[in-house]
Amino acid sequence: MIHFYYSYQPVIDFFLLSLGFAYSQQIALRAGVFSIGTAGFAALGGYLVAILATRTEVPMWVIIPAGAAIGALGGYVLSIPLARLRGAFVAIATLAFVKVIIALALYFEDLTGGAIGVTNIPRIMDTWSLALMALLVIYVNWSIGRTTLGRIFAALAQDESVAASLGVSIRRYHMIGFMVSGAIGGLFGGLQSLYVYNIEPNAFGFAFVVTILTVVVLGGRTTLLGPIMGAGIMAILPEVARPLADNRTMVNGIIMILVITFLPRGVGDTIVDAVRHRWRQRRGASRPQKQEVADAVASD
Amino acid sequence: MLAQQILNGVVSGSIYALFALGFTLLFGVQKLLNLAHGAVFMAGAFIAYYCVIIGLPFWVGLVFAMIASGVISIIVELVAFRQIRKQVDPEFPAIVSSLGVDLILINIAQNLSNTRVLSMPFGTFPIEFYNIFGLRISLLQIVILVLVAALVGALVYYLQKTSFGRQVRAVAQNERAAALLGVSAASVYRQTFFIAGALAGVAGVLIGLSFNSIHFLMGEPYLLYAFVVVVIGGIGSVPGAVVAAILLGVTQALTKAYLSSTLSDAIIFSLLFVALLFFPNGLFGRAVLSAGGDRK
Amino acid sequence: MPSLRIENIAKHFGGLKAVDGFSMEVPPGEITGLIGPNGAGKSTVVNMIAGVLSLTSGDIKLGDRSISTDRTEQVARAGIARTFQSIRLLPETTVLDNIVIGFHRHEKAGPLAALLGLPSATRELRELREKAWDLLERFHMQEYAFLAAGNLAYGHQRRVEIMRAMASDPAILMLDEPVAGMNDVESDELAEIFKQLAEQGLGLLLIEHNVGFVTRLCRQIYVLDAGRLLASGPPEQIVNDPRVIEAYIGGASAA
Repeated sequence: MIHFYYSYQPVIDFFLLSLGFAYSQQIALRAGVFSIGTAGFAALGGYLVAILATRTEVPMWVIIPAGAAIGALGGYVLSIPLARLRGAFVAIATLAFVKVIIALALYFEDLTGGAIGVTNIPRIMDTWSLALMALLVIYVNWSIGRTTLGRIFAALAQDESVAASLGVSIRRYHMIGFMVSGAIGGLFGGLQSLYVYNIEPNAFGFAFVVTILTVVVLGGRTTLLGPIMGAGIMAILPEVARPLADNRTMVNGIIMILVITFLPRGVGDTIVDAVRHRWRQRRGASRPQKQEVADAVASD
Repeated sequence: MLAQQILNGVVSGSIYALFALGFTLLFGVQKLLNLAHGAVFMAGAFIAYYCVIIGLPFWVGLVFAMIASGVISIIVELVAFRQIRKQVDPEFPAIVSSLGVDLILINIAQNLSNTRVLSMPFGTFPIEFYNIFGLRISLLQIVILVLVAALVGALVYYLQKTSFGRQVRAVAQNERAAALLGVSAASVYRQTFFIAGALAGVAGVLIGLSFNSIHFLMGEPYLLYAFVVVVIGGIGSVPGAVVAAILLGVTQALTKAYLSSTLSDAIIFSLLFVALLFFPNGLFGRAVLSAGGDRK
Repeated sequence: MPSLRIENIAKHFGGLKAVDGFSMEVPPGEITGLIGPNGAGKSTVVNMIAGVLSLTSGDIKLGDRSISTDRTEQVARAGIARTFQSIRLLPETTVLDNIVIGFHRHEKAGPLAALLGLPSATRELRELREKAWDLLERFHMQEYAFLAAGNLAYGHQRRVEIMRAMASDPAILMLDEPVAGMNDVESDELAEIFKQLAEQGLGLLLIEHNVGFVTRLCRQIYVLDAGRLLASGPPEQIVNDPRVIEAYIGGASAA
């Protein structure tokens, strides 16, 4: 077991980091927002944490939440103009947002180190602390599923105008979706900085965007299991077949097309759907007891 | 100096118009965004480059790139949209599948070019300058303006005056009703993808030549420019797209000249976000984006 | 309970006057009918009340408050619920949770409590599910509670939509062709439920093509034709009005 851990530690760490980013990506989609802005939030959190950790004496228990906070702020600010945009256009607009963040990181050299980025960041994250943070994010997502917020997000994702006809403010809840996505993205951007020693602008570019999107499409866009499956498969894949690692871009592309065409809900969501379907058949017409309620929502 | 920058901006803006027109045409017809449009643009530049490299004249390369890009675009439709369109809510799946095709094309180009930036050999296009009212304008710029005007004119004629144009409008309004009238949606999609792809291919060649740089990731920023053009110009509006594209080109030339070339894109996109706050329906009126209903 | 008053509203699309100078009142405790041939402008009126379409002129008031410029969700929060002519449920969500969302107007736990998984937020979902179950019992629909709403038969989907609208405990309930595609037994059951709701003090606005159903239930009926008020009055007066008969000529739709 110990041996297994040491030989696969980098894979596990990579899995945990992409898991966090995947939840940031997923929560936006769950709320019906086609944002692919996670890379931008990660860059905001990543840079803030890297700069604070290398240039100031601010304690870590302040720095790490600050990464999440700036991500949430970014999500809030972004949500205001984007409230005017519909559906798919949000995707490109958030891509433009990522571009803006990267351009700013390149421009303000004094602060960000320009193209070289921030170097010599103290490495304080290890597998266990990353796992703890991933659990925290899973808890938040699980909580959304156990409350009416989860139903509202599901309603927005399925039919915005029906949700509005029931009194749901599209703007307010899309803003919440953006902010949660931003907070998680900023948090994990910061954690990544405290793990990889140095960060540079291009690490948050197009490749980041599509990698995270692939994870969520492959895993699933609505369930807790989705990102776990997606990040897991994407972490193992290059280990299993080395040639795939050289053409990662194409592999991502092929996975996206195949999954969205033939298994549109993704691996994780499809499994959860099947399990849930069996539960419901067994339950029949009994009033939902408290325990059952907890079960039923556990993975929504 | 200012006038010179504006002229340069108008020229590059006219190329953006070519690219954006195809993008908005596709969205108008199928109501789905094609994120692979930038890769088709990039493919056009690559194809022309390799034509010139093997010794073909530039003009032959341009025409070949135009046709080949159109064909690639048809393949994009086949792979990314044909099946997806049948899903109940294809909007998000279409983003994913077209991005998937985009990635495959990018990876092919990356392998072909070994991740290098390519440039057309010296002398591919004659370098000549003319002075008009004190402005320096190159032969290439004149050719670009004339070519773009001709292509936009041909597109407008095609959409407005031919039976194909009527079929496109019918499918854009209601695919099922169009089918009842005997219009084959599949053939309309194929034709619009060919046209949009061909326009994107030409735009790719012209950009590759103007900036002397052909790169496997060159499509991405232009996809974002097309988005800016569509939001500001209004979906489906040809004059809106042309005006917005030229505005974009000029803004870009001016920010690069007077502010910062690193920040140029950031400024343009930030301006777009600000514009969205104040002109939610685009500068040219059409309600591009409100989700059903008109009370906002 | 306040009444809904529509005062001289108009909606012009370019040169087309879809609705022009129409007024009506939906008082509490009654079922009011809005009928008219296809294309008369009934849906336009509904969408103007619901906050989907803006008004070219006129005013819409709930009690003393004007709602004519409110957005959809504000209209809903003010206490006007609706069903859709073409059923619109959340197809992937269970029947029970479709109804739970109907209670949104009365939710108290904020989003932060939900994100942190605080007991106040999880308890609220449990309570709303209990309430939704009560509604299911009233409509005899318990056996479908855990099915995805999109998998239900047409008539059952209609009921879920009505339950969802009722969940918001509205002052006014707009029902857009609620018995379309139902057999007589099913529509009689619904008629009973509508009567009970009116007795509880709700104001119901029944938008119908089916004149027979409306005349049985409504105290007051408004007839819309080509965007204008053709006639209004109690059912017996409406069915004998020669103008109404002419508008519905062919009579098939008056079955």
